Amino acid sequence: MKYVIIGNGVAGIHGAEAIRYLDPDGDITMIADEAFPPYCRPMISLVLEGSAAPENLPIRNESFYDDLGINPLLGRRATGIDVDNRQVFVPDAGGTETAVPFDRLLIAAGADPRPIKADGLDLKHIFFMRTEQHIRGMLDALPSVRHALVLGGGLVGFKAAYGLLHRGVRVTMLIRSGYPLSMQADETAGRMVQDELVRKGLDVRVGLQAVAFEGNGTVQKARLSDGTVMDCDMVVIGKGVLPALDFLPREKIEVDLGIVVNEHMETSASGIYAAGDAAEFIDIARQTRWVNAIWPEAVHQGRIAGMSMAGRPVAYPGSLSRNVIRIFDMDVMTGGVFDPAGDPAFTVIWDKNDRRNTYRKLVFRGQRLVGMVMVNDIEQGGLLLSMIQRGKPVKVPPEDLLQPSFNVARLVA
Amino acid sequence: MKQVIVHPERCVGCMQCMAACATAHSRSGKLFTATLEKPVPRPRIHVGAGRYGEGFPNRCRHCDPAPCMLACLPGAISRLPETSTVHIDPDLCINCASCAMTCPFGVIRYHEDADAPPDKVVAVKCDNCHDRQLEGKLPACVEVCKSGALTFEEPDAAMKRKTDAVACSMSQETAVTVLSPGFTLLNTIKQAQTAMAARK
Amino acid sequence: MNREYEKRTITEDGQLMLKKAEQDQIVTVWDRYQEQQPQCGYCEMGLSCRICNMGPCRIDPFGEGPQQGVCGADADIIVARNLGRMIASGAASHSDHGRDLVEVLAKVAEGNAPGYVITDVEKLNRVAAEYGVAVEGKSPTEVAGALADAMFEDFGSRKAALTMTARAPEKRREIWKKLNIMPRGIDRETAEMMHRTHMGVDNGWQSLLLQALRNALSDGWGGSLIATEVSDILFGTPQPRPNTVNVGVIKEDQVNILVHGHNPVVSEMILRACQSPELQRLAEEKGAKGINLAGLCCTGNELLMRHGVPMAGNHLMTELVIATGAVEMILADYQCIMPSLGTVAACYHTKMVSTSDKARFPGMEHREFHPDNAEILAKDLVREAVENFGKRGRVYIPVESVPAMGGFSVEAILGALGGSVDPLLDAIKAGKIRGAAGIVGCNNPRIKHDYGHVTLTRRLIENDILVVDTGCAAVASAKAGFKVAEAARWAGPGLREVCEALQIPPVLHMGSCVDNVRILVLAGALADALGTDISDLPIAGAAPEWYSEKAVAIGAYFVASGVYTVLGPMPPITGSMNVVNLLTRGLEDVVGATFAVEPDPEKAAILMRNHIEQKREALGLSAAKPLRGPSAG
Repeated sequence: MKYVIIGNGVAGIHGAEAIRYLDPDGDITMIADEAFPPYCRPMISLVLEGSAAPENLPIRNESFYDDLGINPLLGRRATGIDVDNRQVFVPDAGGTETAVPFDRLLIAAGADPRPIKADGLDLKHIFFMRTEQHIRGMLDALPSVRHALVLGGGLVGFKAAYGLLHRGVRVTMLIRSGYPLSMQADETAGRMVQDELVRKGLDVRVGLQAVAFEGNGTVQKARLSDGTVMDCDMVVIGKGVLPALDFLPREKIEVDLGIVVNEHMETSASGIYAAGDAAEFIDIARQTRWVNAIWPEAVHQGRIAGMSMAGRPVAYPGSLSRNVIRIFDMDVMTGGVFDPAGDPAFTVIWDKNDRRNTYRKLVFRGQRLVGMVMVNDIEQGGLLLSMIQRGKPVKVPPEDLLQPSFNVARLVA
Repeated sequence: MKQVIVHPERCVGCMQCMAACATAHSRSGKLFTATLEKPVPRPRIHVGAGRYGEGFPNRCRHCDPAPCMLACLPGAISRLPETSTVHIDPDLCINCASCAMTCPFGVIRYHEDADAPPDKVVAVKCDNCHDRQLEGKLPACVEVCKSGALTFEEPDAAMKRKTDAVACSMSQETAVTVLSPGFTLLNTIKQAQTAMAARK
Repeated sequence: MNREYEKRTITEDGQLMLKKAEQDQIVTVWDRYQEQQPQCGYCEMGLSCRICNMGPCRIDPFGEGPQQGVCGADADIIVARNLGRMIASGAASHSDHGRDLVEVLAKVAEGNAPGYVITDVEKLNRVAAEYGVAVEGKSPTEVAGALADAMFEDFGSRKAALTMTARAPEKRREIWKKLNIMPRGIDRETAEMMHRTHMGVDNGWQSLLLQALRNALSDGWGGSLIATEVSDILFGTPQPRPNTVNVGVIKEDQVNILVHGHNPVVSEMILRACQSPELQRLAEEKGAKGINLAGLCCTGNELLMRHGVPMAGNHLMTELVIATGAVEMILADYQCIMPSLGTVAACYHTKMVSTSDKARFPGMEHREFHPDNAEILAKDLVREAVENFGKRGRVYIPVESVPAMGGFSVEAILGALGGSVDPLLDAIKAGKIRGAAGIVGCNNPRIKHDYGHVTLTRRLIENDILVVDTGCAAVASAKAGFKVAEAARWAGPGLREVCEALQIPPVLHMGSCVDNVRILVLAGALADALGTDISDLPIAGAAPEWYSEKAVAIGAYFVASGVYTVLGPMPPITGSMNVVNLLTRGLEDVVGATFAVEPDPEKAAILMRNHIEQKREALGLSAAKPLRGPSAG
């Protein structure tokens, strides 16, 4: 059996490991554009912040490919798939293409940063923050940076801002919506985060975008949508990610926002699977198809895909969006549908305690817990998230779940 | 392999397991000096209150597969085969709380620890008293539990006892009606008080 | 939004103040109660023993772990010893309070207590006569001196029976003699209780419990009774007068001074100082419309009973009233004063002052009162409170106060009845009033604040049972509006008719928690009038929200005096079903009354009604069939 895996991110790795666990003899080829050993992408912000060293990033050692008997094709980005003839195209050094044949294919190509439209994007010191390479570039630039401009108040923008503040850089964050982390948290939590960051020196400006960058080779100024000009010597673009789909034959493989898969992570083309940030499956809380580009889902999906490819079709229950963020002394954990915005199908209960400096919000659909936000005292968050994942009716009084003392024993009648 | 088995119906909420756990994970290993250490040792077993204030000893189940292990970003969580312990390496831990998102029992805490590098906050949870077990000792929490809420035994043996007890309870002749009438009485009162508080 | 406030208290002012306290980031007793969950089961069951240093020990309630302490004591012995020590502490507290009053009485006699006077000479002479003190031709101070000496004797070891046990019915005294639990000396019984519970002394759980009853009787017919009677002599025997209750008694435009604790010795002097024209003038100079003295807990009840001083709240309200930001000073003497108060007050301008040589608190300035300096010190402190008025921050007083009526001493009740208990007995015999119930005791965060008191009171008066109450229970029912004559509309038809005829509320405020003895004395008088024992009367007692050791002593002296007593929270005795069974069943054959434990006031009401009807039947009076409770839980 010939297995080909596109991507050496966490979904690809777990897919490869699952395949090898069940099929000791099959040929496995991994194609990836990043040439580093498999590393932990979420940790790159820790490297920027200075709390982790680049050498802490790898999650598998150098001999990973040898140990698992994988044929690695690194530093190369797949350019196309011939579904009918079961092959993947990979560019050679000379500009020609090699066709890599497969019996089973796993697309775990991940996602790319969402680009922005602005003039002067070719200037130096304008960064995305997605890969280890990006971080290395930022770290190299850091000694000369005084004032950084972060575009976007999402998770990446926010982590960039946090890391740069830690490095003693003055940071201005531009956000289009009214508060940071609007995709990860509700307004109350988002504002608590913003307050904390502002207390620590972040300059937040809402309702603004950058339209052009100017400088002499290196960025020096940003022109904003309100016509003002701002000095800056570093720009970080954090506008989210988009699944990397440009090489996919959309007439052969069904693509929505991500690659549509079934519960075994198989795409509409039989024998071709997808997992991780590029895959789209049912979101448990939303009860609709969704791309949840988060680490734990990538791990889970990679394992499911790998086992299914190796002949043991295990079912995936669906994904759940969730995040945990630590900002200075504040912890924020969110999951599921945390902001139903007045939709009558949902019931929202919450408690904000100023003395404990905590906020807890729960969203129910009928008797089922479908979303949560926690600020501080997050130790029991996994319990709430697992309740969302299980999707069983909550039998205890809902407000009990808001109590600081809530624990697993409260669920046992 | 022997494991710590929790019998919540026997927990009287005295929290001695917590003190013993913190002491066992201190530098000095002695209660009185442990309280003076920096960082102050903290328990890895947490006696929480159930719905009417009854005790519930909550500790890591050392799940297999362990969701925290799969979620750990830096790969700091692994299994120690000798005791089947899910173990967090404090040197590798980056205190990202990803494990807090996955633990369905809420047993992971984040603080400084005697086993971690100085001044580093790390994820801390039950280590099954792995080192004590290798020395042939009981896990510290089991050693101090006098009400039988924590035992150290083969899971199969514990399961059989439970099954036997259920079987006995089916027959009037063999049924042990109440294990401790006084404890049952106390809990009945607590349940009544809880129900009253919820009344409008 | 926040149901948590409603779970914690039924009172409107309590709920609003809880919200304010949370906004002000105040940690309250409820927060700390939550933090303590789960509480230690060994201790809750009475199965832990810290008496000696071979221990500490605990007994496994499930029978597999240790069944004896190091000394060999089993669950029965350990539970009985622990309960005995609770009663010893409770009896000691009341009785030491009583001793403090006798000391003031002695100092008044010596002329060393400026400002203190003998207010009720008639009562002085009456009590003196009981003590065999000659009153003919003597001045009140001479009588007071001799009475104080005689009372001091009651605290000692030279007597076979406490003097005022003579107030108990003959049959009751016979029972005590037969059981060898006649209390001999107030301090003696406490000392003996402590002695017996030392390792290796009394290891009979039954004999330990009998001594516990004797110790409790030394409180009820000794220390507490002396406290009440001497307080009446010094400060006046209460007569019905109106008052107001709840947080609304604190006035935005006045200097607010609160007295907290139990002993009237300090609070009476503070009241006098507040009335001084000089200090009133000073208050006006500082921009206040006057000086407003209000009470908390039982020292508040003492002032309420005798002077109609307003009552700001009971035990669980003591932290919350500070959060009004309108309290210039709190003066605390002793008992039930949470050590957290100083921390709460630190968030506001409130000055906290401790006044007793035996009670100090973090965050309080210690200004010790003694009979010789009390008058001057009181004025100094009130002046300081007035000067503190200008330091106020924002003030939050969210409710209007509720009117109430207090002052129902035994003498006042007899007065209202025209000088004899006969009209009351006639109403009971006719069945208009089925019987009487005493509702006493504390607050406890285990029970929703005031829910036990108010619900039980409502159910009893609805069913034509006259309620008398004291302490925190009395404050709860006053806040609920039960203590005005118009509250008779909530009473059953028979009780309503009697209340309307006498123009009294259906719930009579009989005082502070030491004043529970007023209920005992009234019960004794009723039994005497019927020629029976207290245990034959259609009466019952309840402590729906008790928390303190004093309450255990009170419960025990009521039961030992023949009053069926229903406790709300369970005392720490369930580790020994022998002890539980003796207290809830076995005592019936010993003292003619038992304890019951029922946290749900709806069910407690039914237990008490059934008991009363049963006693009516035994007396040959009309009686209803026993009721079944609401579905058991």
